[in-house]
Amino acid sequence: MNLLSRWRFAVALTVISMGAILWIPGGCGRKTERIRIGVAGPFTGAQAKIGADMALGAELAIEEWNMRGGVLGGNIEAIRGDDEAQPKQATAVAQGLVADRVAAVVGHFNSGCSIPASEVYNDKGIVMITPASTNPKVTDRAYKGVFRVCGRDDQQGSVAAIFALEELQAKRVAVLHDKTTYGQGLADEFTKTLKTKGLETVYYAGVPKEELDFRAVISAIKATSPDLWFFGGIYDQGGPLLNQAKQSGLTAPLMSGDGLIDNEFIKTCGKNAEGTYLTFGPDPAQVPAAAAFISTYRAKHGEPGAYSVYGYDAANVLLTAISRTGSTDYAKLCDFIHSNKFESAMGQIEFDAKGDIKGSYYVMWIVKNGKFEVYQTPGGVK
Amino acid sequence: METLLNGLVRGAIYALIALGYTMVYGILGMINFAHGEVYMIGMFAGILTLAACASLDVLPFGISLALAFGMAMTISAAYGYTNERVAYRPLRKAHILAPLISAVGVSTFLQNFIMNAQTKDKLDFPQAYSQPLVETTFQLGGAQISLLQILIIGLSVALMVGLQLLVMYTPLGKAMRACSQDRTMASLVGIPVDRVITYTFIIGSALAAAAGMLFSMYNSVARFDSGYIAGLRAFTAAVLGGIGNIPGAMLGGFLIGLIEDLTAYHYGADWKDISAFCALMIILIFRPRGLLGERVAEKL
Repeated sequence: MNLLSRWRFAVALTVISMGAILWIPGGCGRKTERIRIGVAGPFTGAQAKIGADMALGAELAIEEWNMRGGVLGGNIEAIRGDDEAQPKQATAVAQGLVADRVAAVVGHFNSGCSIPASEVYNDKGIVMITPASTNPKVTDRAYKGVFRVCGRDDQQGSVAAIFALEELQAKRVAVLHDKTTYGQGLADEFTKTLKTKGLETVYYAGVPKEELDFRAVISAIKATSPDLWFFGGIYDQGGPLLNQAKQSGLTAPLMSGDGLIDNEFIKTCGKNAEGTYLTFGPDPAQVPAAAAFISTYRAKHGEPGAYSVYGYDAANVLLTAISRTGSTDYAKLCDFIHSNKFESAMGQIEFDAKGDIKGSYYVMWIVKNGKFEVYQTPGGVK
Repeated sequence: METLLNGLVRGAIYALIALGYTMVYGILGMINFAHGEVYMIGMFAGILTLAACASLDVLPFGISLALAFGMAMTISAAYGYTNERVAYRPLRKAHILAPLISAVGVSTFLQNFIMNAQTKDKLDFPQAYSQPLVETTFQLGGAQISLLQILIIGLSVALMVGLQLLVMYTPLGKAMRACSQDRTMASLVGIPVDRVITYTFIIGSALAAAAGMLFSMYNSVARFDSGYIAGLRAFTAAVLGGIGNIPGAMLGGFLIGLIEDLTAYHYGADWKDISAFCALMIILIFRPRGLLGERVAEKL
């Protein structure tokens, strides 16, 4: 090594170490400054709308806490992680949030994302509450820091199946799903309940989640002449699917789960959407505790999406736990959430040993006059 | 019967796209991988034009649709022309792989460009413009056929016949055939080879745009990655029929459409790609140049 290159080497080394010094205080300073809450879901891509509604709900809760002075003497900061509804991306987002030192996570949206992401959070000791992932497997692994404020697909599928049998008197039921953890899981639970009640489906198949041309499966469904058909999937596919079905002359009503409950679905389908049945939680507009949330949300962001209130509740549970335990310690937070009751916008909630909410129940919704509304049986609210 | 019909409709779309692959291959011996993206741009241009028409609400139904077709075809043709000028012409003398890679690059560029400039989300086809066509239906041998399906098949066949006539009976067509036989010789006898190639790209792109417009109308939706899958299948159709061969592309398109729909109907949607590509492999084993063959003496 000659003199000149040695000099260069020394200069380079100095520059690098100066850069490194700049790095350290930045990293240390952040830690004491603020409590960070990760908010993870699909914020771009075909499901961006429903993901954003959920995140806005969570962020509204955080703003409200900040107005009341934050927690642990500091403000709370929301950090969004966009998983694009892709399981692979979800793991990367989870690792990113861990690296950002979040205290807890509200998310993810899709079951297929929540499951792999929860592995990361469980490893690193971070509490996550999902506002929307309904697949049984999300909590069935009984990780102590994984919770949800929504229901489970085994509950949802059986409510749908019983409604189909008892209310609609369905005799021939066709089932289609999008082959994702959520969609297929829901379709399977639906089929399972039908079977235990003695009804075999006349058609059962999956279509890839990227597919937008459903003509062939629709013909096949039509050939079985069903009096009801069920779709386990999300609105980005459900909209075009229903349009194509109506165009091909499939007149049987469609039933689906909470994946279709977004105004985008009605926008895509127009009057084709009328009479579509969906299972979802109770209508927030009929829950007295949700009134305050709905009016604040409406003033800030317009009409709440289906999952806004669940995002709001999930964030509130986390922040209540942090403020009451006075720490962000994983074990303390888990114990607190498992052993306490929480006042949420959807009423009082309590978690069981797995992390599901106790006594969660689904109701049947229907699309009527271009709006989602709770299905009214002739005898009153079912 | 209904499945056959669906297959034919889809096949007509593939055939229209396949023509673009086949024409370019016939003349340049190059596969234009960006062709699927040109088709997708046709979808977007058409839908956006219709959305504009709907918001202005002064033009009658038929004229709006015609205008949207016109816009889609013009804009796609402009993209096709630009692609050729920017990405392929400078590489005309380079190794055969260079324009191929360039085409893959253009494809990725266009896809991401539309994704960022327009939307990552799907774009809904304005239903006001497709519903009347869908709702008018006829009975045909036990199956129900809608006016839209008739329009798709009819317009595709008309465009394909038009193209065939153009290639066989006009001076431009004669020049194209000459270029496909031997570019050097063609230029020696005074045919403006570059201009002929430009026209080829423009015509192919306009056909793809028409296909895109029809298909987004049929499926009520368009997405930035719609072109990739459709392009791949149309390319398969072109190879199946014999690449470089116009009637072959049509035949291949209809065949792929039928195979896909029949498989999806009988065995489920998961199997349709498998059966379509198996059919391709089997046919290529027995007829390496495709069903109708790459007409060696007269490729186009």
